[in-house]
Amino acid sequence: MADVAFLALTVITIGSAIAALEMRSLIYGSIALMGTLGGIAGFFLLLDAPFVALFQLAVYVGSIAVLILFTVMLVKRELIFKKIEDKRRKFAGIGLMLVLMVALGAVFVDSGIKTMTTDEPSVNFRDIGADFVTYYWPALILMGLILAGSVTGALVLARRVDEENDQRIN
Amino acid sequence: MSVIAPNFKLSKFIVAILGDVFWILLLVVLVGIPAIFIILFYIPLPVINGDLLTPFLALSWLVNPTLTIPIVKAFMTTDIFRVMAFPGFGFAVLLAASVIFIERKMMAKLQLRVGPFYCGKVEGILQLMGDGLKLISKEIIIPAKADKPLFWAAPVLFVATAAAFVALIPVAPGWVVADVDLGLLAVFAVIGFFPIITILSAWSANSKYPFIGGIRALFQMVSFEIPLILSLLGVVMVTGTLNLSEIAASQSSFPWIIFLPIGAIVFFITMLAELERIPFDLPEAESEIVAGWLTELSGMMYGLVQLGTYLKLYAFAGLFTVLFLAGWHGPMVIPPFPSELLANGLEMGPITLTIDGFPLFTQEMLNGTLWFVIKTMAVIFFIILPRGVFPRVRVDMLLNLGWTKLIGLCFVNIFIALGLIYAGVLGPGGLQ
Repeated sequence: MADVAFLALTVITIGSAIAALEMRSLIYGSIALMGTLGGIAGFFLLLDAPFVALFQLAVYVGSIAVLILFTVMLVKRELIFKKIEDKRRKFAGIGLMLVLMVALGAVFVDSGIKTMTTDEPSVNFRDIGADFVTYYWPALILMGLILAGSVTGALVLARRVDEENDQRIN
Repeated sequence: MSVIAPNFKLSKFIVAILGDVFWILLLVVLVGIPAIFIILFYIPLPVINGDLLTPFLALSWLVNPTLTIPIVKAFMTTDIFRVMAFPGFGFAVLLAASVIFIERKMMAKLQLRVGPFYCGKVEGILQLMGDGLKLISKEIIIPAKADKPLFWAAPVLFVATAAAFVALIPVAPGWVVADVDLGLLAVFAVIGFFPIITILSAWSANSKYPFIGGIRALFQMVSFEIPLILSLLGVVMVTGTLNLSEIAASQSSFPWIIFLPIGAIVFFITMLAELERIPFDLPEAESEIVAGWLTELSGMMYGLVQLGTYLKLYAFAGLFTVLFLAGWHGPMVIPPFPSELLANGLEMGPITLTIDGFPLFTQEMLNGTLWFVIKTMAVIFFIILPRGVFPRVRVDMLLNLGWTKLIGLCFVNIFIALGLIYAGVLGPGGLQ
């Protein structure tokens, strides 16, 4: 059963990733990208990590994909890129991707993933949270400071002083 | 006086009916019964109450319907019943339909009108059915340059997402379609799909007003999602779980709105914005942009989007009830099932009728459902009340409210929750 689900998810993820690259219509490309991100959420579900899966859905499909869609809709396509397309570039791209995938795969296979036992109980997200506030607390505080700094910076950048406009006051 | 069928003769009519009956009987005998026997030969018959479900047994159930009660009870524990009927789609659609009617009547009373009145003799009670029939029978018009696949898919996706949201809401103890361990996170993930569907629907119509409305909806929903998520963190901290059933069960002695009123108020305001209700109905502002992102939808496509909107309304109100108003908890008002009826059966003069398998629902479940519906309806009442009271806010006021004031209030709420936990009022060693 899990194998069928895994195969289906793989087909969805890789197929929609290829579609996201190859589609002429940018809107459909972003929808295909949503399919890829949702498929990755499905992989997390299969790996007994529903916490990560739901965050993947909420953050990537729910927010990032919306931002991409929004940008695509607001910008004229002709202004973004010129069509430079020939066979050589395409095959070079495919070859580069294959090389990268083989290299990454070799790293993964070497990393001891084969000797991992697969029937262990899944890690509870509460344990991860407890680890974060006890052993890894400096990392947590560092992350919190970085995020707070970036949010403050974004607020400062987004803030602008409105000119005096009689219509808009009150 | 006009005659509908001038050449009508009763004798010919009876002859025609008899002819039809003859042919139907002939086909059933020659084709139907052999086909049934062939099918019965191949399918495995289910065993119910220790008996093999043969056609004879099925016919005997038809004679004595009380024998089917155990089967009904067995069916009620299945997933399909939960998805289709009780805590799922059917229940939610029933509530949503009643909400539409109540909203129209209530708006009319607030504005000193009568509202739906003629359809169905009593206060226009059948108006909704009439509207539904009208929407089904209307032609679906698609704009010439619309992106057809997306335009067709958007209303269906909208209803499907709303139904997924409904499936996460627990109605009574144990009565929930999907009892997800991370229910609240699943709610956030589902809510994130609404702006996508809205903007895709608006874009695919290839028309100005839907696009403006869709962009407004996107701004509004995305910017109010953040205070929505933050306002619920207080409840999660206090209960220590993300499972909605456990959150509802943890409020057996007091609802969380007593301790976290700021979170409840912020969640209520963000709820209004996510539902595009007045005073935040900018995406559908009918006096500015026709009907916003719904402009080009016609016929049953519009009907589906409306159905999805009201399912979403019910789901949000149910979520508020589960998180802040103690869900199904309430005083026991449903009387227990009379036990002498179970022991002795129903005596009607010389006849004694004993029925196996009663009661169909437990007392707790009926009571919980009753209280959940009452509380949810109260929340829905407060959601639709501003429609008769408030004007529409401006876009910049809306975004200002969402990004500064509500997020600030959310952090105040989180610190209140933390203070309650560290002061020992709530959590381990405290009240619960």
